[in-house]
Amino acid sequence: MIDLAGVGKSFGAGAARVRALEGVDLHVAAGEFIVVLGPSGSGKTTLLNLIGALDSASEGSIRVGGVDISRAGRRELFEFRRRTVSFVFQSFNIFPGLTAAENVQFGIDVAGRGGVDAGEVLESVGLAGREDSFPHQLSGGEQQRVAIARALATGNPVLLADEPTGELDFQTGVQILGLLESRAAEGRAVLVVTHNREISRAADRVVELSSGRIVSDGPPAGGRARTADLHW
Amino acid sequence: MRLWLRWSWRDMRAHWAQVAAIALVIALGTGTFAGLGSTARWRKASADASFALLQFRDLEVELSEGSFVPEGALVGALEEVAPGLVAGAEERLKVPTQVDAGTATQTILVPGVVIGLPLKGGGPQIDVLEVVSGRPLGAADSGAEVVLLERNFAEYYGLPPAGSLSVAGDRRLDYAGTAASPDYFIVMPEDGSGFMLQANFAVLFSSLETAQALAGAPGQVNRLVVRLAAGVEPETAEREVAAALAERLPGVGATLIPRDEQRAYAMIYQDIENDQQTFSIFAMLIFVGAVAAAFNLTTRLVEAQRREIGIAMALGVSRRRIAVRPLLVGAQIALLGVALGVGVGWVIAVAMQQVLEGFFPLPVWLTSFQPGAFVGAAAAGFAAPFAAVAYPVWRAVRVRPIEAIRSGHLARRVRIRWWRPTRRPANTFGRLPLRNLARAPRRTVLTALGIASAIAVLTTLLGMIDSFFHTVDVGEREILAGNADRVIVDLDHPYQAEDPEVVALLASPALAGAQASLAVPGRLGTAAGGFEVLIGLTDFARSPWVPQLTAGSSAAGDGVIIARKAAGDLGVGVGDAVTLVHPRRRAEGTYEFVLATIRVAGIHAAPYRFLAYMDASQSDRMGLNGMVNQVNAAPATGHTVDDVKRDLFRLESVASVQPATVVADTFRDLLGRFIGLLRVVQGAVFVLALAIAFNAASLNLDERARDLATMFAFGVTRRRALRLAMAEGALLGLLATGIGLAAGYGLLGWFVSSVFPRTAPDIGLVLRLTPQTLAVITAMGVAAVALAPLLTLRKMGRMDVPGTLRVME
Repeated sequence: MIDLAGVGKSFGAGAARVRALEGVDLHVAAGEFIVVLGPSGSGKTTLLNLIGALDSASEGSIRVGGVDISRAGRRELFEFRRRTVSFVFQSFNIFPGLTAAENVQFGIDVAGRGGVDAGEVLESVGLAGREDSFPHQLSGGEQQRVAIARALATGNPVLLADEPTGELDFQTGVQILGLLESRAAEGRAVLVVTHNREISRAADRVVELSSGRIVSDGPPAGGRARTADLHW
Repeated sequence: MRLWLRWSWRDMRAHWAQVAAIALVIALGTGTFAGLGSTARWRKASADASFALLQFRDLEVELSEGSFVPEGALVGALEEVAPGLVAGAEERLKVPTQVDAGTATQTILVPGVVIGLPLKGGGPQIDVLEVVSGRPLGAADSGAEVVLLERNFAEYYGLPPAGSLSVAGDRRLDYAGTAASPDYFIVMPEDGSGFMLQANFAVLFSSLETAQALAGAPGQVNRLVVRLAAGVEPETAEREVAAALAERLPGVGATLIPRDEQRAYAMIYQDIENDQQTFSIFAMLIFVGAVAAAFNLTTRLVEAQRREIGIAMALGVSRRRIAVRPLLVGAQIALLGVALGVGVGWVIAVAMQQVLEGFFPLPVWLTSFQPGAFVGAAAAGFAAPFAAVAYPVWRAVRVRPIEAIRSGHLARRVRIRWWRPTRRPANTFGRLPLRNLARAPRRTVLTALGIASAIAVLTTLLGMIDSFFHTVDVGEREILAGNADRVIVDLDHPYQAEDPEVVALLASPALAGAQASLAVPGRLGTAAGGFEVLIGLTDFARSPWVPQLTAGSSAAGDGVIIARKAAGDLGVGVGDAVTLVHPRRRAEGTYEFVLATIRVAGIHAAPYRFLAYMDASQSDRMGLNGMVNQVNAAPATGHTVDDVKRDLFRLESVASVQPATVVADTFRDLLGRFIGLLRVVQGAVFVLALAIAFNAASLNLDERARDLATMFAFGVTRRRALRLAMAEGALLGLLATGIGLAAGYGLLGWFVSSVFPRTAPDIGLVLRLTPQTLAVITAMGVAAVALAPLLTLRKMGRMDVPGTLRVME
C-alpha cells in the first residue's frame, strides 16, 4: 500500500540546509497498524506529510495506493488526497461552523461517496446521538472521534494520524487508539506518528526515526500489547 | 520600548497588505470627510474672492422697463446722499435685444441684452469684467461696433475668441473676446425664467455709447451700480439712495436691489449651503462606514495576537506593557491612514473644484487643503484604530493566562446558538459559506455595515441622477405635448390676436399647428405662502398645446391648472381656492397687479411648479382679452427647427424662437456636469467598498487558515476553496447591499423631499431608482465582496499547509 525508496527531504539551502529525512525505505501493507516513533525533530511528521502528499520529497520515490506521488502533478496530488489518504490531526482541525454530522458529511462529499450515511459513520466511532452538536459542544475526545469519523467517511485506504492523542487525556487517548487499531483490522493501512513510546506498544510494527533516518523497524519490543494495557 | 517598537513594526510588515488596506479605508474616510465636508468653506472663500476681485456692486438702481434718464443724472442724484456713504458709482445702459451668433455649422438665435459700460477713464471700476479670451475693451472702443461676449454663452456654443454677430435691427457687430461678469456667474435672464440658461441667453458688453446707439437712446442710461464705503450699513445706504432719487428724479420709477438680492449672487451662496448639507451627509456616511470598517478590521488583526498576549500575561508582563504592542500597531495604522487621508482629501477637493468650475466659472478658486476640516476627521480616523485595538486587548487581558494560551477546543469557542441544524445534512460545501458568516455574527455585521454605508452613498448618488433625469424627461414630455419639434415663439410685447404681426406669424409657411397664446407672470398663494408662476392662457378647446392633467379638468372655463408640486406646497387640491396675483391692464395701457381668488381646476403632469395654465377665456379678468404674446407651433413638413428660427427671426415682432426642448437640454447638460461631481464621490465609495472587502477576505483567509489547510489535506482544490470564499463573500455582499440599498433609498427620499426643495423649490423632483441602477448597485456591491477573495489567491497558493495544520491555538 505504501512504498518509499531512498526518500530524503531537505529544507533551506547552502549552509542553512537541514536534512529532515535521509535514505528512508519503508513498505506498509494494507491492514497494518504502524506507529512511527521518534523524538521531536526526528522527521516523523515530515515523513507523514510526504506520504500524505502535503509536501514533496527532495529525493527518492514514494508510491501510495499505486500512485507515484513523487512524480505526480498538482492536480493529481489533489486527486490522490481525495481518493487515497485521509488525515487525523493532533488538534483535530474539524470545522467549527459545521455540526459533527456535517463534518463527517464533508469527508463524504470530498470523496464523492454519495451513498454513505454520516450518522452511521459517527455511530461507528461511538458518537451516536451527537450528530447535531457543534464542535464547541463536544469534548476533546469527542472532537477527535469526529475527526476520525470524517477520515473514515472518505473510504480511503490509507489513514494518516499525526499525534492523534497529543491533546487528549490518557483514557480518551486509549479509546482513540483502539478506534484506529480497529480500522486497520478492517483492511486499511493506518500510520500513526507519535513521540509517545507507550503508544507504539499497541502497533503491529514500530518504525523508529532518529535524525531523519530509520533506526529500527519491526514489532514492538516485548510484543504487541492490548490498548487496554497501555499506560502513560 | 525599542523592542516593542521593533516588534510592532514586524507585526505591520507581516500583515502589510491588510495594514495598507485598513490605512486606505481610514484615508478614504478621513480624506472624503475632509474633502466633502469643507466644500462650503472654500466655495464661499472662492465666491468672496471672485466678487471682490471684480468689484461687485453693493447696490443697483434699476429704472422701470422702458425708462431712461440722461447720462449723469443717476450719479448726480447721489450728491443728495450723506458724504462718506458711497465709495463709487457708475451708470449703465442695459437694453434687451436678439442675438444671432450663428456659425457655418450651427444656428444660434437667442434673446439677450446689451450692457453699455463706461470705458472712458479706464472703466468700468465697478462690476469689472474678467476677460477670458480675446482682448478687453478700452476707451478707443467707445462708440465702436465692438462688444465682448459673456463667457458662459460663448463656451456653451464653443464660439471662437473673436468673431462677428448680429443683433436686433440686423446690426452687425464684432466681438473682440469673451468675458465673465459677476452678474452672470450664473446666467439668469432678466425675466426670471430660470437659471444657467446660457444656451438661451446672450449678454453683450459694449461701451456706453455703443449700447446707446444700438438702443436708439443717445446719451441715455437706465442703471446705476454703487459701491458703498467700508462699514456702511446696506439698509442705511438703500434708504438714502432711494430718498436721493425721489428728490432728484421724481416720477422716475426705480427699483433698488441690494447685493444680497442680486439673483446670481444669492443663488451662488445659497447653493453653497444646500450642497454642503448634502455633501456633509455623504461625508458622514462614508466616514462612519470607514471608521466601522477600520474598527472591525483592526480588531481582527489584533485578535490574532490574543494567544501571545496570554503568554505575556503568563510571564508576568504588566497589562499596561502588554497593551503597548497592539497599541503601537494601531498607532502606525492610524498614522499611515491619516497621512494618506491628506492626499485623498486633496484629490477630492481638486476633483470637486474641476467639476464646480464647469458649473460656476468663477475667476478665483481657493481650493487649497482645508486643515481645519481635516483635523476633526483625522482625530476620529486616528482614534478608530486605537479603539479597535483597545477592545481585543481589553478582552484578552480579562481572561486568565491559562485560558489565553490553552490550545485546542477550549480556546476555539465558536457559538452559533440560534442555528438549528437539520438532522440529515446536504452537501456541506453549500452550507459552509453561510455557516462561516453565522459563526461570527458581530464580525459579519460590522463588515456588512462598513460596506453597506458605501452602498448607501452609492444608492443615494445614483438615485439622485436617476431622479434628476426622470424629472427632466417628464418635464420635457409634458412641454413637448407629443411633438418633439415643438417651438415656442416669444413676441416682443403683447399684441391683439388680429394684429397683422400675429396674423403674419401664424401664417408663416415654416410653421404647422401654430397657436397664439398669452403668458403672463403671476403669484399663486394661500395663507401658507406663495410663489411666482408663469401663467399660460391657452384656448383649451382648440389648441393642440394643452397641458396633460393628472387630476381635475380643463373643460371648465374658470379656474387655474397648477403643478402637483405647486399643489403640494400650497396644500391644496382640485376644487380648493387659491389666491392669484396677476397683472391687469388699465384703460390707459399701463399695468397693475391685482389679487384674485380662484379655484384650482386641475393638476398638470409637468414637474415645474412655476408653470400654471388658464383657459384663454379668462384673459378678460386681466384686461387682456384677445391679446397674445407667444406662439406655439411645430415646424411645417420639410422644415427644421433651424429653418423656423431663421424664417421668424426676420420678423420685427419676434423676440425669440426656441425649441421647447431647450430647457430640458440645458438641464441635461447641467446634470452631465453634476454627474461628474457625483462620480468623484462614487469613485471614492467604490474604492472604499473594495478595500473593506479585500481586507475582510484577507483576514478571513488568515482566520480560516486551518480550515483551509484541512480542506487541502482532504484534497479540496484551491479553485473550490476559492469558490467557497467567493460564495461567502457574495452572501456578505448581498446582506451589505440589502442594508445599503434600504439606507440609501431612505437617504434619497430625504434628499428629494427635504434638501432639494430648498435648493430648487420650483422643481418637483420625482424620486426614481431605475431597475438598471438597482442592478448596477447590487452587482457592484455583491461583486466587490465576492471577487475580493481573488485578490488573496496568491496568499492562498503560498500557504504552508503542513505547518498550518500543526498550528496550535
